[in-house]
Parts: sequence; structure tokens; C-alpha cells
Amino acid sequence: MSRWSTLPPDEQVISEPADEAAPAPDAGQEERADLAAYRRARRRARTRRLGTGALGLAALVVLWQLLAMLISDPVFLPSVSQTVASFAHYFTHPYPSQGKPLWYDALTSLRRVVIGFAAGAAIGVALGAGMSSSRVVRHAIDPVIEVLRPLPPLAFIPLFIIWLGIGEMPKEVLILIGVAPVMAVTTVAALDEVPEDLRLCARTLGATPRYTMLRVQIRSALPGILTGMRISMAGAWTSIVAAELIAATSGLGYLIMQAGDYLNTALVFSGIISIAILGLALDACLRGLLLLADPSRRR
Amino acid sequence: MAARAELNGAGAAGTQAPAAAPGAEVVIDSVGKTFRRGGRRTVALAGASLRVRAGELVCLLGPSGCGKSTLLRIIAGALPADEGTVTVGGRPVAGPSPDRGMLFQTPMLFPWLTTRNNILFGPRAQRAARLHERDDPELDEEAAALLDRVGLTGFGDAFPHELSGGMRHRAAFARALATRPSLLLMDEPFGALDAITREKMHEFLLDIWDQHRTTIIFVTHDIEEAILLGDRVAVMGGKPPGIGEIIDIPLGRPRSALDTDTEVFLNARRRIRGLLQPAQLRS
Repeated sequence: MSRWSTLPPDEQVISEPADEAAPAPDAGQEERADLAAYRRARRRARTRRLGTGALGLAALVVLWQLLAMLISDPVFLPSVSQTVASFAHYFTHPYPSQGKPLWYDALTSLRRVVIGFAAGAAIGVALGAGMSSSRVVRHAIDPVIEVLRPLPPLAFIPLFIIWLGIGEMPKEVLILIGVAPVMAVTTVAALDEVPEDLRLCARTLGATPRYTMLRVQIRSALPGILTGMRISMAGAWTSIVAAELIAATSGLGYLIMQAGDYLNTALVFSGIISIAILGLALDACLRGLLLLADPSRRR
Repeated sequence: MAARAELNGAGAAGTQAPAAAPGAEVVIDSVGKTFRRGGRRTVALAGASLRVRAGELVCLLGPSGCGKSTLLRIIAGALPADEGTVTVGGRPVAGPSPDRGMLFQTPMLFPWLTTRNNILFGPRAQRAARLHERDDPELDEEAAALLDRVGLTGFGDAFPHELSGGMRHRAAFARALATRPSLLLMDEPFGALDAITREKMHEFLLDIWDQHRTTIIFVTHDIEEAILLGDRVAVMGGKPPGIGEIIDIPLGRPRSALDTDTEVFLNARRRIRGLLQPAQLRS
């Protein structure tokens, strides 16, 4: 997963005029003679790394196809082409016949994840900021989070159904419950990590306490907070699909369950691949933001 | 405008530039600081007095725990003194001020800003606080002049992680100079650098100081560094920690690493070693 996540946003590199090729300098050299050449060398290394990563993915697909050909039982393991055909068909055709097409289920799951994640992240960041700025708040909230954090959100599903019914709300709250504690913890850590001297430095440069808070302390914690979002986003997909497997009439989890019940294995794979694509896409968005926030990760 | 002209002029003329914004005189008068933690009191500094002349470079030298960093932070306004007063340019210190620039052991550059925007952090923060109304073209011009001054032309768009160790320190220097401080406080700024880069940074520091003539208070635990840089060296230590003897360093200027072999240098070193000896044994 972590290798996958380096794929998409790496296209977003530092903008720079692509001038004529120059000899690549040693990237580890102490005195850097030329910034543009240094960046070119780093970009070349990145391209190589991406190529290796793409190779790994391709190997997985080849292995899958070989196994499918060997087994030649589409119910046990459909081939790559059968899965692609299934995906293409059900993307616009409903399954089961009275149900909804794949794109609709995908959008439904995506909406639940995004709403639940956004709410959970907002609450978590606010809690974390409060905990970081006030010792009393920290000591009061810390044990609550420590109790909640190791609990699997799925354990709450029956409770949320009892309390909130079977509509959209319990699913979004379920994601929120998983996201908020992680975000609170990572936000506290990110804010705590800002060196005291960095703030002092801003003050000696003439920044007011308020300016220092916004432009230095929070700004400095931003990459850590975004990293926390990437971690909790992965958890959000786990929760939503599990919830849809148990209590839903739409969504990718529901689709996978239905397809499984009728031994439509190719469609199960299609659903899984849809989740992978959506997960990658959302992670790519967050990674893009992270690259914007932290230039040192653009390598 | 006048100050900027001076900045550019000094860059062109090299040495012996007239000090348009001369360094401030610093008067440290019986300053003491006690830290209290869980009922335990630790005297970090007691009765420290020192008068630093305008444009002087004074080194505070001593082992860890001698109160030198505490004193520097009190002068910076980051820590309130429990006793005594510090005045810079005739004004008592109350909180951090861009008039007193600070350089740390690590460059403390803002990692999300390019070198140029790091340099302009101070001027922009001051503009946000309505302390001046210089516009962007004017600031860009000043940033270009400072980049040139510290030898980072062509690296204005580089991020800190793309610079080498020495370059980062020079960028931090340029950033501190951008607010035109009358006093620079340096807290073991080159302690983490390798010996060769460090030597280069010493020459760089002395060169910049020669041009700007800001007052500099330089904290170090390195005897040779203190002698090579300082007009005077204040030896710190003792119990409770404070300023002990203040040694004049009668070496001429400009100085370089070659001066470390001279009789004057060796005498000063011998004397300071002797002063530090009992303190080290006791602690």
C-alpha cells in the first residue's frame, strides 16, 4: 500500500523551466553549485523508483492472470480479462437486477467516507489543538481517547443501528468514531513537535504572537496533521466497507456481499478494485496536499 | 531607502562600510535567574553584569550549565530575568524584538519557505504588524541583495532541505539581517557543523560583522572559537553560575584561522584554560 501511495502525486513536482540537459551533479555533494541541476538529478532518481514500483504492480497482475489460467475456474478465480469485462458491464448495469449500477454504489461509499472523514478530522484536529494548548484539556481528554482508540469501530455497528437507525447517519458516525481519535493524537504530536526555538525565532524576526501561532506553529504542524489524515483515511475505508457488508442496501460493501452470495466472483473483484481505486485517489489528494505543505517530501 | 542603499553599497565596497545602523550598546546589570520545578530551585544565573560596547563582538564562554544560554535568552527577551535588568540601545528588554536578532545552533529555517521567503519572513511579519509599509518589489530587491551578500545568489528559490549545512546557516544569517537588528545573539550557531565548514562560517561571520558593525553576543563552549571571534571573552561558570573574568583579546582585525598560531592567541588560550579548570573540576 505504501508503495502504491507514492505513485500518483509524484507527478506533481516542483515547477521549474525544463532547460537543456546538464550533467547530473552528485546529489550528496556538500556545496551545491546549481539548484536546477540538483533538482533534475533528484527527479531522475524518482522516475527510476516509480518505474520499479510499476514493475511490482505489473508482476502482481501477471501472477493473477497465470493463476487464473492454471485454475481455469471463473467462480474460484476469474481471469484479469473476465474481471475487466465484469467491471465494464456492471459499471453501468445494475446488480442485482433490481439494484443499482457499480458507479452508484461507488459514489455512495465515497460520499459516506468523505462526510464521515471530514467530520471526524475536523473534530479530531480541534480536540488535538485544544489538548496541545491547554494542559487541563489534555489531561481530561487523553484517557478518553486512549480508551476509545484501540476499540474497533465495527464493534459499535449494532449500537449505532439501535441509536441512529439504518440510514446514512450511523455509517458516517462510524467513520467519524474511527477517524477522530487518530486525528486528535496525530495533531497533538504534530503541534508538540514544533520546536520552541522556531517560535522564538519568529518572534525575534518581529512576528506577533498571533502571527507566530498561525504562520509558524500551525503551519509547521500541517505536514504531521496531513500524515495523520492519510493514516485515518485508510481506516475509514475499512470501516465503511465492513458496515456496508452488515447493514446497508447500497455501497461497495453491499455490492460485494451481493455478488458473493450469487458466486459472481468477477464482480466481487470489481468491487474490491473499485475500493482500491477510490482509496488510492483519496490518498493521492491528501498526498498532493502533503507535498504542497512539505517541500522536503518532493523527492 | 537610505538603509537599503547602505546595504547595497556595503556589498559593493567590501570592507569598511560606514555603519548607517550602528550596533547597540548592551548593558547587563546584575541579572539573575532561578528556575523552580516541583519545589526545587535551581539557580541558573546569578549577578551577571557586563557592558557590551556598540559594535563590539563579545563571546560568552563556558561549559554546559554555566548560564550562558540562559543569559542569551534573557537578552533576547525569551525569558524574563528574576533580578537585574538588561538594556539594549538604552531601552530595557521586555519580550522578543526584531531589533535583537537571534541565531540558533540549528539554522531554524522555516522548511516550507524558499530561501527568499525565509529571508523575507521578518519584513513581512513586521509589515503585517504595521511596523513599516515597504512594498513587495522593495522587499524582493532587499532579499536579492541579502542573498548576494551571503553568497546564495541562485538559491533564492531553493528550499532549506536543498541547501548544504553551511548554506543553511548563511540563509539563517541573511534572514536575521533582514530585520536590520542592532544586536545579534548567537547561541552556539556553528556547533553542529564539521570543522572545515565551521572555519568558513567563522570567516563569513567576521566578514559580515565587519560590514554591518552590529553588536554581537556569541555563546560558545569552544575556547578557540571564542578567542578567534571575540573582541572580549566573558568566561562563565562557578556556583552559582555567573560571569567570571572578562578577557581582552588583543588580536588585530581582520582575523583568520591563521591567527590561532600566534603568541597572543596562545596566551589567551592558556589563560582561559586556567580559568575554566577549577569550574570543570567542581562540576
